[in-house]
Amino acid sequence: MLLDDLLRRRLVILSGKGGVGKSVVGTALALAARDRGKRVLLIEIDTPVSAARFLGANPSLGHAETEVLPGLFMANLDPRTVMDEYVRETARVELIARKILDNPVYSKFFAAAPGLPELMVLGKIMILEEERVGWPRRPRFDLLIVDAPATGHGLSFLKVPLAASNAIPVGPVGHNARRILSLLRDPERTALAVVAVPEEMAVVEAIEFADNAHKELGIETRALILNACHERRFTAAQEMEVLALAAADVPGRLAPGVPAAAALTAARHHIRRRKLTQFYMKRLKKAVDAPIVPLPFLFDERLTKASLQLLADRLEAA
Amino acid sequence: MSAEGALLDALAHRRILIVSGSGGVGKTTTAAALALRAAVQGRRVLVCTIDPSRRLVTSLGLETLSDRAREMDIRRFDPVAGGRMWAMTLDTKRTFDTLVERHTADAVARRRILDNRFYKQVSSALAGSHEYMAMEKLLDLAADERFDLVVLDTPPTRHALDFLEAPDRMMGFLDASVLRWFLKPYFVAGRLTLKVATRTGAFFLKLADRVLGLQFLQDLSEFFLAFEGMYAGFKERAQQVNEVLRAEDSGFVLVAGPSALTLDEALYFHERLIERGMPFIGFIVNRLHPAATGPGGRGGAPDIDDDLGDRLVEVFKDYSRLAKAEMKNVARLEEETGTVPVLVPELEGDVHDLDGLHEVGDLIFGGARPARRGRTRARSAAAVATRAVAARGAR
Repeated sequence: MLLDDLLRRRLVILSGKGGVGKSVVGTALALAARDRGKRVLLIEIDTPVSAARFLGANPSLGHAETEVLPGLFMANLDPRTVMDEYVRETARVELIARKILDNPVYSKFFAAAPGLPELMVLGKIMILEEERVGWPRRPRFDLLIVDAPATGHGLSFLKVPLAASNAIPVGPVGHNARRILSLLRDPERTALAVVAVPEEMAVVEAIEFADNAHKELGIETRALILNACHERRFTAAQEMEVLALAAADVPGRLAPGVPAAAALTAARHHIRRRKLTQFYMKRLKKAVDAPIVPLPFLFDERLTKASLQLLADRLEAA
Repeated sequence: MSAEGALLDALAHRRILIVSGSGGVGKTTTAAALALRAAVQGRRVLVCTIDPSRRLVTSLGLETLSDRAREMDIRRFDPVAGGRMWAMTLDTKRTFDTLVERHTADAVARRRILDNRFYKQVSSALAGSHEYMAMEKLLDLAADERFDLVVLDTPPTRHALDFLEAPDRMMGFLDASVLRWFLKPYFVAGRLTLKVATRTGAFFLKLADRVLGLQFLQDLSEFFLAFEGMYAGFKERAQQVNEVLRAEDSGFVLVAGPSALTLDEALYFHERLIERGMPFIGFIVNRLHPAATGPGGRGGAPDIDDDLGDRLVEVFKDYSRLAKAEMKNVARLEEETGTVPVLVPELEGDVHDLDGLHEVGDLIFGGARPARRGRTRARSAAAVATRAVAARGAR
């Protein structure tokens, strides 16, 4: 249901506060779409360690699209490389391009100009979205999933095309900024999904983000993905009992190597987190008009393809 | 000195404390908790977030927070005489405007900048401006005599690095060669023409038009021209920031979570700090899960029915697997950096007010840890975590 709606578009942008597991959610979403037979590209932006590692692929994934699993591609976009590509394409002649690229002014300008790296990356995403191959022409990728930078910077990331199109009314930069903006705003082509975890700050930021995306950019949030949810593991009566016992300092063991007191502490921890999960779920529901999809907290020491597949199946079932 | 000791010492004597780390590790909460602790101990402390998402607002339990320092009421914590605490957040646009006002000679020059279309976007909306303005604000605060200590909360790792590099980038940009290029007369309004003296000049201009657009370059050029005369000041400020970041009475606290991923990021940041010769104080590893060890475990089975018992065992196994993995990660951090981090257990609730922050301070500094009484302080990571978790359980 959720996937039906999200995957109607070809561009899905995931945003959220840092540390909420956007790259995990992005990978799970990519797996789920791939399971539906789609050709998917998961785009990360200038990340030191790529989500490719979850799928057992090389974590120092490069800038170019790499097929990590059959039908699942990943790319770790480097803004500077995108800019270089743009210069090469515009200059057409390698010798001339080299002259520009080797000029120290070019490097310094790119490093210091606020917004330029973001604009370049979004431009590249637009080009990938528009790319067609074969005959009859069909999209090169059925779905692009973008793991956008963390929220505070996330909105400013999405804001760049608007700012650029306001600042530069004419010329190629302004023109491209407007094209990007209309892609982001087109509900038929682009879906925005906000990722959060059931914690105060992440939830506040998710709400703020959805709000600002609507007010300042005119982009609607299509889904809220609540990651790392603690799901119920005891009945209501058992929860009461656990809380009472945890306060009572129970001696003895529940099983070999399982002291009752330690197990009760862990259980109490779980119950409090579960209640918080429910609390924040309600709060999100009230504040944002979009379907909420909970994903479970994973206890795995290392995330593997199996754990990601579990999340993908949850997304499919949502 | 122990990790807690080094932190306490920094809170008591340093002037600038920069709290950094990747997202979701409780960095903002930690920054605010450290500031509160220093204030309670008698210093006049300001905590400032440069994170544009303004998380500090939530952890202080406030509805709004502005770029004006706002005093918190900390009387209930019984502070040492003179101890006060303020909080504020960075307003990029306003900081930029203030900067312009300060450096322009007259009202005409000021308006020329403030009304510039390019300036309006750069100063308020664009990603990247935050770092420059944070750097500007830091200088202001470092010189502000109202405060003995400024605790600076920073954006997640990647961007915090941007912050460290902002002064160098700014200086590179203000480098004469870059500016000369943008200040070439053919970009300037009214003289926008392709009549350039040399053929190569004309050729590159055409190219620039194709890549970026002449109008854009002209706007940019005007923008830079408007700032003419301020560059020397800018450059000097950037240089000063570099000095403040490296000063003896400044210090960096790196906050991480116990997962391999966030610890990797902390390690990366630590390396960069050392490389740049910036003063590092210590690591704080937040959110450790309850350890799998603890008192009890002897004697017969307690009076718990089978179904509940089974579920408890399952939950216990999940948590102990997690806790073990986390301790392994922490041990790796110790090994690779040769420092012992301060370990803080995950809270069962969320922190969103001053009382909560005060409790976090207790967890960081062990103020409420019965396990410490009458014992030699354990130094190994595992022992510290067990102690912290046991203390939390006891509260």
